[in-house]
Amino acid sequence: MTGPIQVLVVGFDRPTFSGEVLAEFTRLRDAGIVRLVDLLVVSRTEEGAFETLALPEGVEADFGDLAARVLGQAENTGQPSAQAAEIDAASTWSLTDAIPLGGTAAVALIEHSWATSLSEAIQRAGGSFLDETWLAREDRELLEALIAARQT
Amino acid sequence: MLLVPKQLRRVGMTGNVPYYGGRFSPAQAYGAAHPTAPPPSFADPMTAGGAFIRAPVPTAGQHTASVPPTNRPDTEKALQQLLDTGVISEAEFLQLRSRVTQ
Repeated sequence: MTGPIQVLVVGFDRPTFSGEVLAEFTRLRDAGIVRLVDLLVVSRTEEGAFETLALPEGVEADFGDLAARVLGQAENTGQPSAQAAEIDAASTWSLTDAIPLGGTAAVALIEHSWATSLSEAIQRAGGSFLDETWLAREDRELLEALIAARQT
Repeated sequence: MLLVPKQLRRVGMTGNVPYYGGRFSPAQAYGAAHPTAPPPSFADPMTAGGAFIRAPVPTAGQHTASVPPTNRPDTEKALQQLLDTGVISEAEFLQLRSRVTQ
């Protein structure tokens, strides 16, 4: 595993899995763009507890375990891990921050194969990571309009 | 199966800590304050560099050490850069600068 791994958390009011998303992941993996490393479906009770749910049909049978181990900790430890204690709280996150009370979400670990060489090139160039985000729809529309205007 | 979420480092595509919450990460703040110094390792702040090792809490009656006079120009310059780049507000700038010049 060499590419950057993204954690994608997608909420659902009523999870319905038609297989379309998995089919798209298969296409992207075959194209060498991204690879679905693991997938976990979790629900959060109104009291805040998290519970893993059964994976939809079509998902590899062993999916879920890796994500649960990476994103969760052994139950009833009562103490934060030594690793967690060393991490600056301001630069951390957890599923608790992402999934609201009473919510259900699919949590995907996605390897961005396409970004491997780009990430290495940025580091070799001495680039310092400052931020990353996605453009809002309005800003994308503005960008598209600017591109269109440039091409005319 | 019950799952107990744990805290994970928030990093970007390159694996470095991002510019979180509108603030510099410790490494970036150090870089801004020491523009010509080689970047320290932040892997273990207790043993590497020492820039972010927590200073001992002064005892009662003990005078709190201020920034050495020789470091003030660099510190003020770094604060000015933070202000110019929008990292800190004017009020924060004035507050922090007053600490430096005390």
